[in-house]
Amino acid sequence: MERHAQHAFEAEEVMAYLDGELEARRAAELAAHLVSCSECQEVVQGFRALSERMLSFEVERPSAAMNAEVLAALDSSTSANQARTSRALDHGAWNGRPMLARPRNWAIACVVAVVVTLALAIPHTRRAETLPASGRNLRNLVAVEPGLAKSQASDLEAQKVTPEDDVQSALAGAPPPPGEELKAPENVGPMIVQTASLNILATNYDQASAAIDKLAAAHGGYVEKLDAKAQTGNARELAASLRIPTKQLDGFLADVRKLGRVEEETRSNEEVSDQYVDLQARLKSARATEQRLIELLGTRTGKLQDVLEAERELARVRGEIESMQGQSTILVHRVNYATVQVDLSEEYRQVLGSGPVSTASKLRNALVEGFRNLQDGAVGLLVFLFAVGPSLLFWLAILLVPGWFAWRRFRARAQA
Amino acid sequence: MNSDDQLILEFQQGAREAFVELFERYREPIYGFFRRRLEHPARAEELAQECFLALLQNVQRYEPRASFRSYLYGIATHLVAAERRKAGREVVENEKLDDRAAGGDAAGNHDAGIWLRKALGHLEPSEREILMLREYEQLSYGEIAAVLRMPVNTVRSRLFRARAALKNQLLPVK
Repeated sequence: MERHAQHAFEAEEVMAYLDGELEARRAAELAAHLVSCSECQEVVQGFRALSERMLSFEVERPSAAMNAEVLAALDSSTSANQARTSRALDHGAWNGRPMLARPRNWAIACVVAVVVTLALAIPHTRRAETLPASGRNLRNLVAVEPGLAKSQASDLEAQKVTPEDDVQSALAGAPPPPGEELKAPENVGPMIVQTASLNILATNYDQASAAIDKLAAAHGGYVEKLDAKAQTGNARELAASLRIPTKQLDGFLADVRKLGRVEEETRSNEEVSDQYVDLQARLKSARATEQRLIELLGTRTGKLQDVLEAERELARVRGEIESMQGQSTILVHRVNYATVQVDLSEEYRQVLGSGPVSTASKLRNALVEGFRNLQDGAVGLLVFLFAVGPSLLFWLAILLVPGWFAWRRFRARAQA
Repeated sequence: MNSDDQLILEFQQGAREAFVELFERYREPIYGFFRRRLEHPARAEELAQECFLALLQNVQRYEPRASFRSYLYGIATHLVAAERRKAGREVVENEKLDDRAAGGDAAGNHDAGIWLRKALGHLEPSEREILMLREYEQLSYGEIAAVLRMPVNTVRSRLFRARAALKNQLLPVK
């Protein structure tokens, strides 16, 4: 029953058609299609053969005793079975015994509670992890890109200001400007994501660190992340992650090398053409589905439930399209903007500390340290209790209560 | 000929013949329903009886919301579920179907039947139930949805999965 995704009728539709469950118009289309399509005819044959095979599960006929009893009950119409059967009728309804008196129901309730808690908690933690770094910045920056992707070196001059402004807005978390859809460099050969990494020992650290921002802006790029460390007694360090337009990469690297002595330099290229082509194909097929659904919704006069079903499906397909568009945009952005990691460090000069420490101050320091450790330990213990205590109680309740019920039941059974 | 839904309404008004007619129509299908799902023929018969008695005693509360068939099979499904709960865990269900297949029944005692029951036993329980309701009880997708209380689309997709899985199971014998 495996078939091409692109085929006009899914195997599932063929099945619904055979079951007489396909909407009239679609059924007529499928009937017409079946005449000429051998692939679909094969599917039909498969389903028919299966139904025939299933008939081999035969059962004997019921005995006559059943008739007598049911008909007798019909005549007397009242029965001792009343209580039992009425329970059967209220299938799913809330009956006699309280729901939570059963250990199994308890277990189910607990599992549901845990799943709901996790479902609520996980998206929160994930969002917290991913948002600050690249997601928001990327979205903002992508909007400027079509211009840059097309731009030649000549009109780069005119645009110099734009990326800088955008870095500002990205860092400030401003809402993204209305972006047009990205056009990928489709006919310019393979799509390659470039990354470069440089370790530089700067002779003049202050000058070099200030220059990095400016150089990135001058080449039409921007700073994605910047991390500067200046601890006393240590050499100062600056780690910057920069995004530079691919065409400008060589020029930018040449400029950066001038900032000091290059200790290490690596470059790597990753080809993503196949990823991109695959994504585009899936996007195209999803758009075709969306179009079909829209047409279906526009023309059909089916039941409200069917229309709602179609709309749900449409919403799902649209969600997929948006997600794929997002992926495609990110991919194109990665191709158009190379990632450059610059680690800048100061030439290190060891500074000598002051003279030897006296015994008295050593003792005093030890005492202070001891108190601090005591305090830290106590606070740590409290923090641990607060952090773990409630969930510990929660889990104990979950595990013990059904266990207790089960034990009681077991004991009752053992006594009986 | 009156439809099932008319008959049950007539019986609600007190027409005894209407119930006799319904009973005649569904006696064998309902027995078959239980027989295919339970191990012992005698127990199947008892439950089929119980199913009709339930119908009989609660007829005044019947409301023509869904089709009569989905109402009747709803009762039957509920009785089977209660029976299985009583008999123990559902885990052993597959083995039972297998055992029954290995032992062979009065009527379906040939190779194809045995293979088929074995294959059915390996399906996912809810998918198996949908497939059986469709093939043996001949319920429509809407009726199955009403019996099992799930959306029609779910019925359709699970039925498709069940058929695909069963076909795969049966393939080696082909």
